[in-house]
Parts: sequence; structure tokens; C-alpha cells
Amino acid sequence: MDIISGLLQGFAVALQPLNLFWCFVGVLLGTVVGILPGLGPPATIAMLLPLTFQMSPTSAIIMLAGIYYGAKYGGSTTSILLNVPGESASVVTCFDGYQMARKGRAGAALGIAAIASFIAGTVGVLGLMLIAPPLAKFALSFSSPEYFALMCLGLAMVVLLAGKSLVKALLAMLVGLWIAGMGIDLFSSTSRFTFGHMEMLDGVDFVVVAIGVFALGEVLGNMESREEGQMLPVPKGLRNLLPNVEELKACRFAFVNGSVIGFLIGVLPGAGSTIASFISYGVEKAVSKHPEKFGTGVPEGVAAPEGANNSETGGALVPLLTLGIPGSGTTAILLAAFVLWGLKPGPLMIQDNPTLFWGLVASMYVGNVMLLILNLPLIPLFAQILKLPVYVLYPIIFGISIVGVYSVSGSLFDVWMLAAFGLLGYLMRKLDYPAAPLILGLVLGDGMERALRQSLMMSQGDLSILVSRPISAVMLSLAVLILIAPLFRKANAWRIRMIDEQA
Amino acid sequence: MRTRIALMLMAGCAAAGASAVFAQGFQPSRPIEFVVHTGPGGGADVQARFIAAAMEKENLLPVRMQVNNKTGGGGLTAMAYLAEKKGETHVVAAFTGIWFTNPLMRAEARFTMKDLTPIVRLVLEPAMVAVKNDAPYKTLKDFIDAAKQSPGQLKQSGGSIGSRDWIVRQLLMKNTGANWAFISFPGGGERIAALLGGHVNMMVIEPQEAGEHIRAGNLRVVAQISEQRLPPFPNVPTLKEAGFDVHVPQVRGIIAPPGIPREVIAYWEGVFAKLVQTATWKKYLEDNLFADGFQRSAELNKFIDEYSETTRGILKEGGIKVVR
Amino acid sequence: MEDKSFKAADLWSGLALAALGVFIIMEARQWEFMGPDGPGAGFFPLGYGIAMVALSAALVIASVLRNPSRTDSAVNWRETGRVFAMWMALVVAVATLKVSGFVINFAVLTFFIVAVMYRRPPLRAAIVAAACTAGFYLVFPLALGVSLPAGMLGF
Repeated sequence: MDIISGLLQGFAVALQPLNLFWCFVGVLLGTVVGILPGLGPPATIAMLLPLTFQMSPTSAIIMLAGIYYGAKYGGSTTSILLNVPGESASVVTCFDGYQMARKGRAGAALGIAAIASFIAGTVGVLGLMLIAPPLAKFALSFSSPEYFALMCLGLAMVVLLAGKSLVKALLAMLVGLWIAGMGIDLFSSTSRFTFGHMEMLDGVDFVVVAIGVFALGEVLGNMESREEGQMLPVPKGLRNLLPNVEELKACRFAFVNGSVIGFLIGVLPGAGSTIASFISYGVEKAVSKHPEKFGTGVPEGVAAPEGANNSETGGALVPLLTLGIPGSGTTAILLAAFVLWGLKPGPLMIQDNPTLFWGLVASMYVGNVMLLILNLPLIPLFAQILKLPVYVLYPIIFGISIVGVYSVSGSLFDVWMLAAFGLLGYLMRKLDYPAAPLILGLVLGDGMERALRQSLMMSQGDLSILVSRPISAVMLSLAVLILIAPLFRKANAWRIRMIDEQA
Repeated sequence: MRTRIALMLMAGCAAAGASAVFAQGFQPSRPIEFVVHTGPGGGADVQARFIAAAMEKENLLPVRMQVNNKTGGGGLTAMAYLAEKKGETHVVAAFTGIWFTNPLMRAEARFTMKDLTPIVRLVLEPAMVAVKNDAPYKTLKDFIDAAKQSPGQLKQSGGSIGSRDWIVRQLLMKNTGANWAFISFPGGGERIAALLGGHVNMMVIEPQEAGEHIRAGNLRVVAQISEQRLPPFPNVPTLKEAGFDVHVPQVRGIIAPPGIPREVIAYWEGVFAKLVQTATWKKYLEDNLFADGFQRSAELNKFIDEYSETTRGILKEGGIKVVR
Repeated sequence: MEDKSFKAADLWSGLALAALGVFIIMEARQWEFMGPDGPGAGFFPLGYGIAMVALSAALVIASVLRNPSRTDSAVNWRETGRVFAMWMALVVAVATLKVSGFVINFAVLTFFIVAVMYRRPPLRAAIVAAACTAGFYLVFPLALGVSLPAGMLGF
């Protein structure tokens, strides 16, 4: 079907009042769900599935998709204001977003997150619309060696996130890898590091670690002093509540970076939005003129990951709609939904249901606009949360963390783990170990080990499979380049200093 | 004379009425908790929700059924949860194949199916052996022969060790003496992607998923893992017809907590026996390409013993540590 | 004096991590390193266990050899006591969740934070505790249907 006519037909469907209503319901629900840590799109979509039987499949998918990408918008709110990641993908937003809030630029951070999400979300939909089928074919050529190279690329980011001590960052990353390995080993069915507990068989939930280390670690750290006053300075006046022109200009590249990287990584089944945000953050830092400022509150540090985790939604829909292959938890539930509604997900789904596909695509444009309009005016409202005194805010953070973690599995064991990781987070702050590499190791460890072992199984122990394939060779070289880039810069600076001294 | 016959008839009716009253026995009085071990949207969850809806539609229960997701540990969390509800008559759970295999492999498991009360077996799930459309294997025998010629070179994508795909591989390899690699992928999507991308040669796939890819011309199915040919695949031989005497039943059924009275078991058996007779259920089997495998608790208990023994043997032969 | 304490922190954390690395290596050796199908369960853990031992050894050595005249920021342990008190309160709250449930424990914890940690008057503490708990009860179970951990009293 011709793209233009398809799109026109799609808008005709998406702009029907009923579908507009469902789109709004979806994005609103998604934003709320994203703000709450622990509760995520997969559970929400599953809960709403019975309701969708009363609707037409097109309206239903419009609403459910709204929840999916709406949650990415909401996830940044608590990350920026409270250092509590609302969603696993929002962890990276905590790094610079929370620091911007501490400097009084909370409103600006929220605004940049919203704008980046809008731009990236739109790019994601564009990608879905224009290049879905050839991209899906390309994604199929990605196999375990390429995934391994991708993970290596992600881990190379450790060097960029290291800060002062590279040794401590690497140690933190190794601890993250260790935690990631806890549980049942997929290939050999041995239980590793479960300490005999049935609850450890599935490993430690990422949300538990992230909330414990970031949110609780931060709160505990702040409790050292009994100072009064508000937790974070609240900017006065509307002008200070929104990003200013310089900040927006600084984010120019980040907007593009986040959109493209997020979308491409989203297309790969199993990669995930957390990896996308890390890589886009790392790339942004690598090309920045002032990389040492990352982690202290630079706007591009918010724009890149926020954009990435939004366009990842568009990307994840590519394999789902063009091949019937779900790439993440949420897309797996959407797949089940398709089956329940009587649609047959697979390579011919778009051909068989053009109205649904184009209606969905058009509604995603509409949804992104709705979210931007929803989120921007809410920023002053959210920023008022910072006016609460610390002794009100901290109990709330404790409460939200506990409820959020408990809502994931309903198990008290997870709440214990939360307390333990809170202590770990505090100790890491005290002893000057950076938390970001730990999270990175946790996110990538599983996937990396799996990809490496799958690759070696495919090649029967031949390590060269990792470099003989073009794509993985390219990515591994990129990883190496990123690792030595800081050295180049140092060497360059040293060279310039030498020249200056001689002059 | 007639009065005596009439009296006897009345006595007979009274006795019949009385036994009917006694057979009434257990009736649920509050909503039934239906435990599943997958998250929302997972196989067991979808089936449980369907059963709950079908029960309402066919008026088979005086109360509602509410699905409760207890994920974790590959079914172990759900099993432990059920075991702790000893004597509870208003709880049931849906079991699948991993309830058999996981406790055999995991030392952390505290309970097995024998610690619970199996109620009925409902369905058998068939599967298909699929290869890429441009592969040189027209039949399963072609694939096995190719594997024999280059042992360990061909690859199958599948789930974890102990899953049905793995068991199929073990049995086929033992049966034919061939040898090929098994590469685990955690998600169904990734397994299909690996096959479509040409990174593996074969996989065991569910008939629903296979259907769409066949229609699109990407995959070819060379054998069915089923007792009889499935209607949408009339030209594909079953394993037995293809010459491989290998049976790998993938079962689903209902199980209840330990320590419930005999009459409650009988009640549930009765309800589910009625369910599988309904047109709604028959359509469900057709739509999902399940085979009816209804067994009441006595038969089911025997099946559990036999199947666990068989699985134990397969695991040991495959070099997997078995802990009970 | 301050420099010594910072070096000590590096030293002890390095030693702790080295111990963890040794533990990982010992566990990993129980599992298969390289099987017939490819790397086994012990492959990766052995790798990062060794890396952990190596890096923490480097950290320990660096902290011992560090030039004491460099101005590093010190680790201030005085106020850590407060944090541990808070953390113990949290642990107690979690431990008794099965008994008294989230609602009660959260109210008590909030009261503790306001009255004890931040030394505000008890009345204000009580008001804040009640308000926050009510807020949680309204938002989560009632509005969103997310269940709060329940104790023996049923809520």
C-alpha cells in the first residue's frame, strides 16, 4: 500500500472521536504508570485486556500502544525529581536529571525530557512507517555474535561513566555482572549463587537494585545531616521552570542521537530500552566537548537517554508488526492481545490488516502530540513537589519504593533485597564507588554472557566468529575506539600544551 | 400388591433422591482462586482466563474464578504457594510440563506434584518441526541424515534445558544416533528470529506461530509432534508416521492444594468433565490446535508417575543433574 | 589523620571485594568451565571473579602506596551513625510487615523519621505520619488497585 494513501487512511481512523478518546486514555494511563516505580506497561496492559474485548481491535491497539510509549514519558518524572527510576529505562535519566534538579533546574530537566521524548517518539513512528520491512530483514541478520558485540559496546561505556577512579568503576561493574548472573543458568540448568533460596532462582530484579541503590542510597546519604530546608531548590518564575535557549541548543545533537540509537536498538528483539538509553548516553558523552561535566547535570545527559527510550518503542513495534516476533515484555503481551482479538500476528499481518497498521501509526503521531501537551504544563505542578520539606519527602520515597517493589512480584523477599541494596547504595556513595557502572553491569551481564555462549556454541568454540562477521566486527571496533577515545583527547591536550610551552 | 410396588418405587425414588443430595456434597461458596505460574499474557495465564470465562458462559460454577499470577522459579513459586494452602477447597492451579521437570532439576524446589492434589489432565499440546524455506531438508529424515553426516554441526534453537524442545532433541538423537547442537534462547521471538536469519537449522515451534510464517513462505514444516495429523497440516507426517517412535506429550491440566477431601476432588473432576464436553471447549481446542487429553485424577496420578520417571531418565542421559 | 581514614576505606573495601572475588572463583570452580556444547556455567563467573580479585588487589596496593601529601577528601564517619539508625528502623519496618502490615509500619516509620531523625515536635510528626499514610492508602489500593503488603490484621 502506498505510504501516503496509507497514512491518510490512518489519520482518518486515528482522528475519529472514539479513537482519539482511547488514545488519550492510553497515554494518560501510561504516564501515570510510568511515574510509579515498579508498576509497568506489561502488567497494566494485561490488566486491561479483558476490557478490550468490547472494543474494535484498532481502538484497542491504539489505547494499549498509548500506554506503552506514555509510560516512557512518565518514567522520567520521578527519576529527575526524586532519583527514583520510574521504569528500568529511566535509570540513565537519573544521572544528569537528578543533578539538574539539585542545581535548581528541575523544570528545565523535565521540559527537556518531554521535548526529547516527543522528537524521538515521532522519529520512531516515522521509522516504523517508512523503513519497517527492510529494517526487519536487517534485524534478522543480527545473531548472537552481533548481540555480544553490542553488549561490549555497552560495557565500553563504563570507561566513559567512570569519573575519577577507573578501578572502582570497573569493580562496581563486575559486582553488577555478578548480580546479573544470579539465578538459573539458561544453558546448563545449574543454579548459580542462589544460596539455596527458591526466590533467587529468577535472579534479582533490576527494579529492586535500581531503586535501592539510587533512591534509597540517596535518601540515606542525605540523612547524614539534620539540616532543615527543602530538599532541592525550587526555581521561581515560569522562565526558570522551562528549559532556556542555551540548554535546548546544547541538546541539538542529543535529540538526533537518542532518536536514532533508540530506534535501531529497539528493532533488535531482546535488546531493550535500558541498553538503548545507556548507549545513547555514552555516545553523547563521547562526542561532547565537555565530557567531564556529564553526571553533574548537563541537559544533553537527559535528552539523549530520554529520547532513546522513547524511540525504542517505535523500534520494538517493527519486529512485532512485520514478523510477529515480540522483542520485549510489553510487545510479548501485545502479541498475546493480537491473538486474543483474532488477528494473526506474523509477516502477513500488515498486509491483512492495513487499516489497523496505519491507524496505529497515525495514532502514535497524535499520541506523541497529546503527551507533549499533557506533560509541559504539568511541569510547574510537579516541581512544586520539591517544595515539601525533606521529612515529608523522604518517608514518601521510602513508601513508594516499598510499594513499587512489592507490586512487581508480591514477594516480601524482594522488599528485603531492596533494603539490602539501599545499604549498598549508601556504602557506595560513602566509599566513592560510582553506581552507574553497577547498573550497567547488571543490565548487560545476562545478555552478554548469553550472547557469548550462544556464539561459541554456534561456532563450536571458534572465537573468530566474533570478528569474522562484518557487523559484529564493526561494533567491536567501535567499542575499542570508544575505550581509547579519552586517551586520544588526553594525548591531544598534552600535545597542545607542549606546543604552547615551546612557543 | 400394587401398594407394595408403589411403596418400593417410592422408596427407590427416595433413595435416588437421597443419594443425589449426598452427591451434591461440596459446592463452592466464594470466588475460586485460579493460580497460574506465568505472568499476564503467558500461556498458562491465557488458558486460565479462557477457562474462567468459559465456566461463566456455560454456567458450570455457582461462583466466579479469579486468576492469580504467581510467577517465579519456573513454576516453583506457584507450587510452593499451592502447597502452603493445605486443605483449601477454593483454590486450583493450572499446571504445564515444567511442573514435572523443574522439581527434578532444582534442589531449591520444596515441593513436587506428588505433594499436591492432581485433579484432571485437560489437553495435549502438539508442536511442529520447522526449517527455513530454502533449507535442503524436505523431510525430518533429511535433516537427521544430514546431522549424521556432520555430527554437531547442525543447530536447533530452543528453550532451556528440560523444556520440551530439548526433550524432543534428546529422544530423537537417542533414537537415531545423530547428533546436533542445541542453542537456548530465552524468548520464543528470538528463537524464530534465529531460524529465519539462518543462524540455526531447525526448531520445534508451536503450530499457531508456524501457521503464519508458512503462509508468508518463510518456513517449512517437516514433521508434527502429535498423535494424529492436525487439520491445518494434512500433508505433514507425524513423528510416528515419519518412522520415529518418539512420544513427547506436552500436557496441561488442573491441580489443587494438598489435603482436600475426596468429595471436593470428585466435584472438580465433574465440573471439568462437563467443561470438556461443551461446544465452547471444542472450539477452543480447534482454534488453538490442542488435542483433547482428558484424564481424571486416578489416571492422571498414574501418568504423573510414569512421565516423571521417563523425564528423569531423559535428563540423566542428557547429562543433567537430577536431584530427586 | 583525614587522609589515613580515606586510605583505610579504600583498603577495607578493596579487601572485601577481593574476598568476594575469591568466593566467586570458588563457587565457579564447582561448575563446568567448558562443556561439549560450549562454555559452561562456570565460564563467565570464573572470568569476572578473577578480574575482581585482580582489580581489588590493585586498589588495595594503590591505597597503601598513596602519597599522603595529596589532598583527598576524607570519609566522614561521624554522621554515619544516624544513617545506620535510619536503616535499622527500615529493617525493623520490613521485618514486621508480615505481622503489622504496611499501613501501620509506614505510619510508625514516618513518625520515626520526622520526630527522631529530624527532631520535629511530636504533634507535627503524628500529623505528617497520618497524612502520608492516608495518602498512600488512598492512592494505591483504592485508586490504583495495587495491594499494599498486608499484616495479620488484614491490611
